[in-house]
Amino acid sequence: MSGLGFINPFGVRELPGTTTGDFYTANFAQKAQPGRVILNLGPQHPSTHGVLRILAEMEGEYVWRAEPVLGYLHRMHERMAEVKTPQQFLPNMGRVDYLHPLAWNWAYVGAVEKLAGLEPPERAQWLRTLSCELNRISSHLLWWGAFVMDLGGVTPILYAFEEREKINDILQIITGSRLTMSYFRLGGVCADADDRFLALTREFVPYLRERLKMYRGLVTDNVILRRRLEGVGPIDVDMCRRYGATGPVLRAAGSPNDLRRDVPYGTYPQHDFWPATGFPDDCFGRYLVRLAEIESSLDIVEQAVRGLPPGPIMVDKPPKANFKMPAGETYFAVEGARGQVGVHLVSDGGKNPYRVKLRAPGFSNLSLFAEAAQGTLLADAVAILGSLDLVIPEIDR
Amino acid sequence: MLRAIIDNLKGLYSLLVGLSITGRFLLSPQRTVHYPRQVVAPESLASFRGPLELVPSADDPAKTRCISCQMCVRACPDNCLKVVKGEGGKAPAVWVYDFSLCCLCAACVEACPASALRFSHKVYLTALTRDELKLDLLADLKARAAKAAGGADARPPAQPPAGLEPQARL
Repeated sequence: MSGLGFINPFGVRELPGTTTGDFYTANFAQKAQPGRVILNLGPQHPSTHGVLRILAEMEGEYVWRAEPVLGYLHRMHERMAEVKTPQQFLPNMGRVDYLHPLAWNWAYVGAVEKLAGLEPPERAQWLRTLSCELNRISSHLLWWGAFVMDLGGVTPILYAFEEREKINDILQIITGSRLTMSYFRLGGVCADADDRFLALTREFVPYLRERLKMYRGLVTDNVILRRRLEGVGPIDVDMCRRYGATGPVLRAAGSPNDLRRDVPYGTYPQHDFWPATGFPDDCFGRYLVRLAEIESSLDIVEQAVRGLPPGPIMVDKPPKANFKMPAGETYFAVEGARGQVGVHLVSDGGKNPYRVKLRAPGFSNLSLFAEAAQGTLLADAVAILGSLDLVIPEIDR
Repeated sequence: MLRAIIDNLKGLYSLLVGLSITGRFLLSPQRTVHYPRQVVAPESLASFRGPLELVPSADDPAKTRCISCQMCVRACPDNCLKVVKGEGGKAPAVWVYDFSLCCLCAACVEACPASALRFSHKVYLTALTRDELKLDLLADLKARAAKAAGGADARPPAQPPAGLEPQARL
């Protein structure tokens, strides 16, 4: 291919030494050794789940060097937080990570509440746990389908969507929307759970447990999937620590870190669950961790439905539109489906926060891709990318 | 050698298991709602947030409860509301809502002291241009009142296109 000046539809360019391509490609190609091919995965590649772009230096079928290029989906969420009151900024949190919006809801609401000293009533806390865990299950289900689709199995995502639709139907009753949910409010939640919501949730838990058994037969035990994943892309605890990776990636590496247990918030201390660990640290381990987490989330949902106390869902005097936070600085983190979701909030006592920093777990998880993908086959690099569970809007914010 | 043969046989068996699951689902009834031949049942949309609508006052279904206090306009993060007070009294003369900007966050609904706003369940709203999404809610309220003709707070469910049977879901 080299020497022909050939550009094929998959983005393979004959490059070293030349300056074709944009700034990133040209810059990346400077360090490439002669005879190697620079491959652009993305920004609109079917296996990258959004507008992520990976530059890879290829030696035959092997990835010699890889570099993620970010920012195609930057929407200035942090800046928007500075020009809007907390109540006005809340709907943004559903848009940052569209797969687990309620974790982001919780992180921002939690940060403001921590600063303002608001304590939501107990029923609101339980509803937060319940809805957040249902949302986590739907996030993992979509990841499961998308990951298997990355590996070439197109059917399973349709099975996953059947369950996901059921969760969306359930969450729509209380949140009013199916994707970009904005359910939490400063000092509580915006709607109470009715009988229909609780009945559907109770029905859903045993239903999904049955379906997970089907998933096992359909995908987990499948020999093709196992040979694609077993031993591919090992990520150990040390690498996670260096890049700040959290969530299922870190738990698959063998460290039982889970903010729901380590820094308990909400009603999690009252729930009986244990972070899923004890899996291999390769792609297959990360696959199993997430399936195990669906099961532990189902346990939490079951306990939350059983233990849901009666009472109000808002504090007595909810913050009004002219609500001013006390001056100060705070950090509040929750465990999202992808890892530690953190909000660092600085207030100067005005209506709007002075500065808000959003800590997206996907950003750290993606950072280790360059190292993990080094020396792997291109198809394995795609498997590693999929196993990190990336949501690009969250990474670019 | 023997080990490899056994492994491959086990692998083949796992493929058969997967195929049998797929086959079972192939023969089971379809789970999707085929829009536009079928539509979602109205009870599944009970709390769905569609575009905003005005709540009629208790005595006259064509009159709004709105008192033009501008609380919703101030609460809105997207600046998608425009409320102009009419001559004499508190009733609004203009109530324009730009659905193309709205993020359906319910800040206006929660801020309203007169409970004059709520979400409709219109899931079939479509438009060809952005201007069509600038909705005149006062006209919408009058149209609904004329349609209902009686029944002070008659809230019409989501209207499926004519001639379609709703399919029960959930």
